[in-house]
This record gives sequence, structure tokens and C-alpha cells, in this order.
Amino acid sequence: MSAEKKEYLLVDENGQGKPDKPWIFRTYAGHTNAKASNELYRKNLSKGQTGLSIAFDLPTQCGYSSDHEVSRPEIGKVGVPINSLEDFRILFDQIPIEEMNTSMTINGTSMWLLSLYVALAEERGVPLEKLNGTTQNDLIKEYLARGTYIYPPKESMKIIVDMYEYSLHNIPKWNPSNICSYHLQEAGATPVQELSFALATAIAVLDAIKERNCFSDDEFEQCVGRISFFVNAGIRFVEEMCKMRAFTEMWEEITTERYKVKTAKYRVFRYGVQVNSLGLTEEQPENNAWRILIESLGVTLSRNARCRALQLPAWNEALSLPRPWDQQWSLRLQQVLAYETDLLEYPDIFEGSKVIESKVKALKEEAKLEIQKIIDMGGALVAIENGYMKSQLVKSQTERLSKINSNELVIVGKNKWTDGIKSPLMTDSDGGIFKVDPKSAEQTLNVLGEAKSRRNADLAKKSLEELKQAAKDGKNLMPYSIACAKALVTTGEWADALREVYGEYNPPTGVDGQKLFLSDDKVSTVRGKVEAFTKANGHRPKIVVGKPGLDGHSNGAEMIAVSAKHSGFDVIYSGIRLSPEEIVQSAVEENANVIGLSILSGSHKEIVKQLFDELTHYKAKIPVVIGGIIPESDFEELKKMGIREIFTPKDYDLMSIMEKIIDIVSEEPALV
Amino acid sequence: MIDTKESLSQLVSEALLGEKYPIAKIISKIETENNLEFREFLFQELIRQNPNSKEGLTIGITGTPGAGKSSLLGELCKLFLDFAPDKKMAIVAIDPSSNLSGGSILGDRTRVTLPRRDTRIYFRSQPSQLELGGLNPYTYHVIRFLRRIFDYVFVETVGIGQNEISVSLISDLSFLVMQPLGGDQVQFMKSGIMEVPEAFIINKCDEESLANSSYYMLESTLEFIKDILPDQSLPPIFKTSVTKRKGIEELLNYILNYQKRKDKNTETLTQLTQWIRNEYGRWGISIWEELESSKWNQAVKRNPLGGIHKLKYEEEERKIVSIIQTKIK
Repeated sequence: MSAEKKEYLLVDENGQGKPDKPWIFRTYAGHTNAKASNELYRKNLSKGQTGLSIAFDLPTQCGYSSDHEVSRPEIGKVGVPINSLEDFRILFDQIPIEEMNTSMTINGTSMWLLSLYVALAEERGVPLEKLNGTTQNDLIKEYLARGTYIYPPKESMKIIVDMYEYSLHNIPKWNPSNICSYHLQEAGATPVQELSFALATAIAVLDAIKERNCFSDDEFEQCVGRISFFVNAGIRFVEEMCKMRAFTEMWEEITTERYKVKTAKYRVFRYGVQVNSLGLTEEQPENNAWRILIESLGVTLSRNARCRALQLPAWNEALSLPRPWDQQWSLRLQQVLAYETDLLEYPDIFEGSKVIESKVKALKEEAKLEIQKIIDMGGALVAIENGYMKSQLVKSQTERLSKINSNELVIVGKNKWTDGIKSPLMTDSDGGIFKVDPKSAEQTLNVLGEAKSRRNADLAKKSLEELKQAAKDGKNLMPYSIACAKALVTTGEWADALREVYGEYNPPTGVDGQKLFLSDDKVSTVRGKVEAFTKANGHRPKIVVGKPGLDGHSNGAEMIAVSAKHSGFDVIYSGIRLSPEEIVQSAVEENANVIGLSILSGSHKEIVKQLFDELTHYKAKIPVVIGGIIPESDFEELKKMGIREIFTPKDYDLMSIMEKIIDIVSEEPALV
Repeated sequence: MIDTKESLSQLVSEALLGEKYPIAKIISKIETENNLEFREFLFQELIRQNPNSKEGLTIGITGTPGAGKSSLLGELCKLFLDFAPDKKMAIVAIDPSSNLSGGSILGDRTRVTLPRRDTRIYFRSQPSQLELGGLNPYTYHVIRFLRRIFDYVFVETVGIGQNEISVSLISDLSFLVMQPLGGDQVQFMKSGIMEVPEAFIINKCDEESLANSSYYMLESTLEFIKDILPDQSLPPIFKTSVTKRKGIEELLNYILNYQKRKDKNTETLTQLTQWIRNEYGRWGISIWEELESSKWNQAVKRNPLGGIHKLKYEEEERKIVSIIQTKIK
């Protein structure tokens, strides 16, 4: 080793300068149908990409086949639809899966998708030891933030443990689950909540594995080493960097103290990052490019808080689905950061910083208290079932929104410096947004129909019966699922079989007892109007807040429910994944004065049509307003269908929204 | 829209056919302040259009928050659709949430999912309007109305003390729902509430031994405090689990086969008394007792089921108001 070692340089064992390898650049991709996605993947791979990150559409994530009624508006919208092994054959056509690192963002049906992957490998004669990749499979964050869960917590955890047991013995390089705190921050989590909820989740998974006692000590260590994390990086990038350092240190402590892991490499906190989408604005969307850059710095700048993989949203995600060019622009940002700057040449540049150290310490202390609270309660599963974690998130989110409303939290272009020149990026002929061709669903349905007609119906039926029986007997379900995959069982059939045994879960909404921290003139104006309505009609105005379809991002609906209560409405809010029929039925039975819909998946036109059909059935004239990611080009059509008002991320001022709603309600002739 | 009597008659006839929107509109009107005149017309009209209309069974379900009442009702609904194909049920769920703004979030529907466009189950939420744990001021009249359309009317309330017994005053059959070993037994023994319900449910009996020990604890508590005459047996206790789907069939069968009805005259009297107390306090009660109650009581004695016709509630209410008004002047 050289005597004149320079502290500021990264060197190899011979003392030669050797910068770090960059993190993995990921593209989260999949849309339209298996064929189109396969073409996209092969194009990306031919440019030197070595891994795949598969996005599935909402029916696939929620366990419905494309031919289910509820799937229709969603096929191929936010990812690729997968109905049976036949779709996987098409999706991976000419792609050597033995050479891939395949990451699947899938949770409720993760066991099914892994089974399809295994079935495909066996069909191709690929040894299972060669399969490399991750099924996300973090149900807790689904219950809390994203909504694509199916079964109750206990049964979902059982499925996760099944996958660990099977994978470690058969596909040793596979990561059966990945603890995902990303969506917690999207749902309003503070850094302390992100730390504590994610680590409590990991503890819940490892405790469940311990309880099954299916591994030797050595195998259990390997199993701990298989756990990876997927986290979020927000705009307060110094704090976010400290959060990452706290994560690493706390994981080291937990695996050493709680699980006695002796091998150092199995204690490493392995994680990928996507930077925050929540803070992206629809107003002056070009500013989002800078936000994405700054958020990236928190998880790349210092060596001890550098992610293994990074994916960046596109600058226009608050407007709609990004186009290929928008995604490419985000990828270029990563490449500039990794290859043009000197970022990777240094050891940790914040080591020894008093500021950073004490901030990390403070975060760790708070997070430890919170983890202890959850463990005292009985662990993460109990904190889900009793609604504790959900209500904490809704609380953080309402506080955040209250601060934006009162300008305490500055968001450039949204509540400050709002006047600006319109962005020339938006003037392209496509209006700056991407749309899936609605006809492409036919292809998916054809493949599904053919697979069903071609398969051995008796065999499919028999394997489903065996799956159900195994679930009743508490057996490991992996082998039975793989048998189903080979028998060309469909996604919906697999999920239904287990729904029959396990039931479907309906979690607490988290909105009970929530308060807004707003009390300005606007609030009194709105409350005044509500009181006037109450006086004139003899009862309070009633709003049904509906979250239709399979999109489970419920933040918007929750905030509207809480704001409406704050204004003096009686609010009916029943959580996510309702059909338009159920929403209308609620509104009719409750004699609601208005229906407020929240839709973020891009299926608003289809769902609004179904909703008005249903209102017609009951001969009910109830005004309907809608909020969500809705491009301006759809406004006219929606209004023609009967929608009274449209709110988009631009309308962040909750009381202005409520005022518009109470005005609409007050204009209506009295219903009684 | 239903300001004219013609349009109200129309709504009533649609409601009697079981159409949901008309039923919903009528309930909103019942829930409106100063609705005496409307109620008078409504109940006359219901009788006029359907003189032999049914008198559904009212089932009160109460218990501490978190005892799982809503989930239990959700399961009951699912089974009801299969078990009682020619019957209809309504649920009124009273939610205690309310705050400074007066607004509320009513989330109990979450637990009940029904087939599309089904008309056999009707669900209605009601904010308790700051009356902690108790009934909404209009609950009684809503139930009176729903009983004429549905075979079974469930009323779900959240209660944590004396107040929760008020639901049993207006139901034919009331249940107290508890959790295994929740410490509820001691609590309720103190408040005397254990004496009121007709039956008990230990819900969340997911685990056999815990469920059994709670069952025996409750049984012995009840032997202590229930006034058990030689010819009476202990009130039934049901052990249920929504997650394990246990005991719910038995509970539903018990409800479907329950024949006894409470005396509606007593119920009407109770409700009138409560109403006078709310509106005019003890002074109002004393005026009423002085002038009217003797007549009432005699009538009830003379003909327990028909003496004071249960449909005369509004008439009596009007009389009381005018008597009290004269006294005030």
C-alpha cells in the first residue's frame, strides 16, 4: 500500500485510484399487452440494459383476469396484463431469462407470478438455480398506501413465508420479497415513519419465518441476506441522506441483536430507490426536473448512503403517464450524474460531519421508539389490523397539506411564484402525454380466450382444487401454484381459489377521528355556506367520496373526506376498490347530495360512464365531481357526460375545493 | 320535490315496493328538524296504502368500539341473502364521530358488500349528532318507517356505558357485542347494562380456548346479575368469529326464528317520555304526567296491543306540545 495514501481518494487493494461502480439504472416498464412489452424490453436490452423491471397492470396486481368486469377499464394501462403462462411465453420471447435480473413489482399475486416464472424456466429447461430477481411482495405497504392487496394480513404473511421457504431451497438467488417504504412517503410518511414502518415490516417477515422454523441457522442467515428494501428519496435531501444512513445502521443493529446474524454480508442493508413523485407539481411541471435531480443527490452523493439501484420519475408524471422521451430524459440525468461528475471517486464525504452524525442519531432514536411501540402492540400486522399505522400516515398527510394550504411549506410554482411563462415542453401535438391504445386490450383477451380453450380443462380444475385443499391444510402453496401455472390456470382463477379459502381483506380507512389544521377565513366561508345549506334543507349536506376501480392510491380521497368533515359535511367514505355500482348504491341509499370520485389510473372516462348508467337505473339525479390525474384534453368530454367539476393536482387548496362543492350542492333543487 | 302531498303519496307507494331512492328520500325528510307534520302524513299514508303492512322485527346491536360489530353485520348480510331468500332487511348504523364543525365521517358501510342492484338489503348511516353513544334524535322514527317495508331492521350503535341501552328500548331483540376477555364483564356489571339486552355475542372468537373461557366468565356473571326466575333460562350467548366464519349461521338462525315482539305501546310511551325530557326537561314531564298520563296508562291497561295506537305517536306529540305551550304562556 502506498505510504502517501490520500484520504480523499477511493483506491483498490494496490493503492490505485478506483472509483465506485455506478448504481444500476433501472427503467420500470410494461404497458399495453405482453407482445408490446416484449418488444419494449428487447429494445432496451439491445442497448446494453441487463436487468428488467416489470410493471404489471392493476387487474394482474389485484388478482383478476382481463375478462373480469372490473378489469375492463384498466387492461394494460399502468403495466403489462398477465393472465396465464401463455402471456409469460410472449413477454419473455427471445429473452434469455437465465441471464436476466428480473424485478417484478407485484404484491398480492406475487406467488402466482413467481410460479409462472418458474414454470416458464422449467418449460425451457433453465435450471432454477440460475434464476435471479425479485418479487416485491410487501403487503404491509399495500394495506397502508397502495391498495393492491387481496387477502387478510395473516394469510398474506403466510404466503410470503411460503415463498421464502421455497425460494431458499429451490431458487437460491431469488429475493422472495422486498420491503417497500416508497409508497409510505407518497402517502405522507415522515422520515421517522418511513424508517420505523419499513423496519417493523422487515421484523414482522423475519419473525414469521423464525416461527415456522423451516431453516437451519445457516439457512436463516442466508434468508436475512435475501431481504432487500425499496425506499423513497424526497426533496429535503440532507435529511433524506441521513435517513438512508440511519436505515443502514439500524438494519445492522437489528440483524445482529435480534436475529444474531454472524456473517457480515448478510447484515448489509440492500436497497433500491425511486425518488419522490408526491412533490411533483402539475403547475410549472418543468420545475420537476430540478426536483428530481435534487432528490437523486440525497441517495447518491455520499458513499455510505448510496443506493444500489435508482429509478427516476418523469418530469410530467403529475400530468399523466410519461412518454418514452420523458423517461429517456430521466435516464440521461442519471447518466450525467454518474459518468460526468466526480461523485464516484471519493470515500464517504460526510463521514465525521457533526451535523450529519447528530441528525442520524436523532432520526434513529425517534424511529427506535416508534418501532418499539409497534412491537409492543404485537407487531406490524397488528398495527395494520387495528388501523394504527394507517391513521398515523393519514395524520402526517393532512398536516403536510394543511401546511401547503397555509403557505408554511413553500412549493415553488404552486403556492409561491405562481406566475410564469407557459412551458414550451407542453406544446407538442400529443399534448405532452402518453395514452394506451384502447384497442390493444383485444389482443390480451384473445390470448386469454385461446389459452382457456386449448388447455386441458380437467387438469386446470384439478390443480385448482389441489391448491384450495393445500391452503385449507396450511401447506406450502408454491408447488401447487406452479402446478396451476403449468395447467394454464388464469390469474383470476388462482386468486379466486385462495379468496375462497382466505377471504378478502377490507382494511381500516384511517380517516376516523382525523382533523385538519386549518381555521382561516376560507374555512369560515365554507362552513358558513354549509350552515346555510343545513338551515335551508333541515339536514347537513352529505357527500359520498368514492374510490372506484382498481387504483388504490387513496390519499386524495382521504384528504377530501377529512376536508369535507372539517367543513361540516356528513361524509360517507368506504375505502378503495369499489365498483361504480357500489358507489351509486351508497349515494342512493344515503340520499347523498353529491358524489366525489377520485381516479388516478387514467380510467376516468370508462368509470364515469358506468357511474352515470347506474344513476340512470335508480332515476337518481345526484351531482358528480371528480378529482385525480386527468388531462385537460379530457375535460370537455367528461363535462358532456355530466361531471360538474374536475379537480386535478393543481387544486391543492382544500377549502377552495370544498367551496366549489358546497356551491354545486346548494344550487341543486332540494332533494326532499 | 316531495312538498306536495301527491308527490309524497307517490314516494310512499314506490317505497312500499322496496325502491331504494324513494326510501332514502323519505328517511332524509324524517331526519329533518321540525318534521311533525310530515311524519303525521307519512304514517297515515303508509297505513292508507297498505293497511295490513308488515311489522318487521327490530334488532339492536350495540357494544364497545372495536368489538367488530360492523364486520359481524357484514357477514350476517352475506348469509342472509342465502338463508332467507324471500325476506328483506334494513340496517341503520349510527356513527358517533363528530367534531367542532358538526360534520362526520360515516364509515360503517365499508364492511357490508352487496350484489349489484340488490334490493333485499338496505343500508343507511346516521351521525349521532353529538349525542355520545346514543341514538340519533330521529332514529326511532326512521325505524318505525323501515319496519313497514322490511322484515328485519337492524340498528347498530356504538356505546361505552349507560347510553347504549337506549337501543334496546326501541328494539324487539337487542344484542350486546363483546370481545373475548376484554374486561367488559366487570365494566358492564358496574353500569348495570348487562341486565338490559336479550342476548349476548362474544365476537372475535378466533381462538377456541380463549372463546370458551370468556363464555363461561360471561355465563357466571349473568347468573349473578340477571334477574332469573325459576321458569326463565339464561339469555343466549353466541360465540362468533368473522375471520373463521364461525357461529354466524347460528346467530342468524336465532334472529330469523325469533318470534317475540316487545309491546309497541310501551315503546311509544318510552320514546315520547324521552322526547319530552329532551325538549322540555323534567318540568315538561311533570306537566304531561299531571294532565295526560293517567289517560294513557288506563288505555294501555285496557287493551295492551291496541289501546294507544302506535300510529298515534304524532297525534300525542302534538297534544303534548300544545299543553306545554299553554303552560308556558
